[in-house]
Amino acid sequence: MLTRADLAKYPFVAEATDYVRELGFSIDEIATPEFSPVLDRAERRLEEALSKSQISVEVSNESAEILSFPVSNLILGLIGDERARRRFALAEAKRAYDLLRQESPEKLEHIATTTFGWRLERLDIRLGLRLYDFGLNLADFLRNSVHLREPRWNLPNRVLNHGLVYVTREETARLMEEEVRMRVLERSSKVPASVPQPLGSKVERARGLVIKWLGIPTQYELPKVPMPDAMPPCIRHLIDNLNEGKNVQHMGRFALAAFLLNIGAGDEEIVKMFKPATDFSERMTRYQVEHIGGKRGGRTKYTCPMCTTLKTHGVCFKPDKICDTIRNPLSYYKRKSRILSGKGPSREFS
Amino acid sequence: MSSAEHLIKQKFQQFYLERNRTLFSPPAASQREYGFLLFKGKFMVRHRTFKNPETLLTAIRDLSPAHVYFSTAYYQDPTASMDQKGWLGADLVFDIDADHLDTPCTIMHNWKCKACSTVGKGSAPKTCPKCKNDRVEIETWLCDRCLQEAKEETIHLLEMIFSDLQMGDANLSVYFSGHRGYHVHLHSEDFRMLREEQRREIVDYLLGEQLDPSLQGMEDVPEGGVLILKGPQWGEPGWRGRMVRGIYEVLTKEGENLGLNQAQLKVINAWDKANFFTKPFWSSLKGINAGTWKNIVQRAVRETAAKIDSVVTSDVHRLIRLPGTLNGHTGLLGVNVPLERLDEFDPFIESIAFPEGQVKITVKDSPEFRIGSQNFGPFHDEKIELPTAAAMLLLCKHKAEPTS
Repeated sequence: MLTRADLAKYPFVAEATDYVRELGFSIDEIATPEFSPVLDRAERRLEEALSKSQISVEVSNESAEILSFPVSNLILGLIGDERARRRFALAEAKRAYDLLRQESPEKLEHIATTTFGWRLERLDIRLGLRLYDFGLNLADFLRNSVHLREPRWNLPNRVLNHGLVYVTREETARLMEEEVRMRVLERSSKVPASVPQPLGSKVERARGLVIKWLGIPTQYELPKVPMPDAMPPCIRHLIDNLNEGKNVQHMGRFALAAFLLNIGAGDEEIVKMFKPATDFSERMTRYQVEHIGGKRGGRTKYTCPMCTTLKTHGVCFKPDKICDTIRNPLSYYKRKSRILSGKGPSREFS
Repeated sequence: MSSAEHLIKQKFQQFYLERNRTLFSPPAASQREYGFLLFKGKFMVRHRTFKNPETLLTAIRDLSPAHVYFSTAYYQDPTASMDQKGWLGADLVFDIDADHLDTPCTIMHNWKCKACSTVGKGSAPKTCPKCKNDRVEIETWLCDRCLQEAKEETIHLLEMIFSDLQMGDANLSVYFSGHRGYHVHLHSEDFRMLREEQRREIVDYLLGEQLDPSLQGMEDVPEGGVLILKGPQWGEPGWRGRMVRGIYEVLTKEGENLGLNQAQLKVINAWDKANFFTKPFWSSLKGINAGTWKNIVQRAVRETAAKIDSVVTSDVHRLIRLPGTLNGHTGLLGVNVPLERLDEFDPFIESIAFPEGQVKITVKDSPEFRIGSQNFGPFHDEKIELPTAAAMLLLCKHKAEPTS
């Protein structure tokens, strides 16, 4: 079904992996002159991803295009820089999307089912203005859609019929992009035991590229003392409600305690915040705060729930502009505290 | 333990000790975590595992707990601490509880101020009229009306599962919780590995949360140089069709205000509702534009959503009542309700665990209730002898003490 030109376009497909295996080349041969186009292309793949978050499609040398993909992954695994891996996975995924959305339904179906194992059915159903080419198995849909933020990906805004989510051809390509991103990220996380000799110099050069384009990783330190002005609307609303003696539901209380613990507030400080609650019990509250902080019970330190969770449970309150850019109240705090403390907005690589 | 708790515990033990007693065994029973809430000190024993239903029954016979739970999740090691258990997936479960439904009979229920113990009848005030405290608690009661509503909501949920969510292989069971609700368990390879955020999408779908009508087909379409409002039609799959059915329901309901003005109400009332089933109606009602439709749709979505408890379904580590065990809030049994019998299922008859004998109790205060085909109460400060099941309900509900 797929030609060699297809494998060059989609080097992540199962057939491309088979193709590489059948060539049977060993890592030592990488140093030989005939492999230099592969190594060059692997390096360019990385540089394109790092410099402009976009990877070109080079069809002139199909086998170099196919073989360079696993080599790029290998190099990234050896460098082990999370930011670089994310950037590369995203760029490879976008490259795939741009190509996939021009493909026939047959080819999409083939790649989705054989490489990704999706359960996909041909539908060709028109509802309103949309032509739905496929029905995608609900679990396969959700695995990918939860990463996408536009409202059209929320399940209540989809057509769902007997476990199949109706998707257009373009949407199928978009979900496949997400699947590619996750898979590339997974692939580049595998760290080989040692650096294969012939790759040594390439890895060093790639490391240089990462620093050139992404800079030296810096860890922004959160303010030592909690900064109320940097708290997101939902958290401030919870605090206001408590102060006014209004009842705050379980999820709201949990979110508040977890948030405060994660920005470095002390247990006692947090317990005090809950005092105005009508059903306040100091002993119970302290136990729960300590539990969330990982000092009791299961010893897991909890992080603040994601915005999506808070939305479902009705905790989200008057989201503002910063809210559009984050997925967790803690990221809001991180970003806003940085702005407020004059360190400026950060470059985000995820 | 109070004397009531002593008696309840003793009765529970007798129940579990019966020779032919068997327990419900969930699929992959040995990969589940079990938990017991004890009468003594309301203490929770959890992180337990049992090789087979017999050893589980032995433990229950020993402990005679108020509540028995099992995990909806499967674990490599159910006895380990939470982060060491090795999560292997979880059933998809739904909980419909009368507490989450706006049952019309809440007006007949009692409320109590937790601060000064003032009690009253009818819908609860925001703050206590006596001490101005807002710790006003609505007393839940086992009433026919509430449970009927919960059952209807469960049937509605099942319809939604079957038409929208269901894939061929899923094995689905419905249980009465022994108190105020129903649980639906879906054992499906497809759903088993869904993570919390993915399950939350399913929750949002069933609740119609943040549903945007313009993404369900309601849009202005250019036609012959003008924009015509188009929308989904009756019979279309998923929320598209449900939205239309919901609109039909709210528009044909008496006394709904819907935020419409007099002129609009007149148009709606004069309109032949049969048009719903046959032709596009979105642009045929004079004076009702996209904005008004959106309000109506919002109301329609609320009307037709399945009112599940969002926390239960999204929690992938949930402990949930083990069917076939007693509910310490009522003394009734959590029981399996075969799908084909759900319609006629009567929780006040079919979940009775103590069909024999009489118990002497002193009742403080109790509304009227039904057990079996007999009605009891209301009672107020009286010593009486009641059939065991009725007495157990009052004891479990803290409405009575055993008469010494």
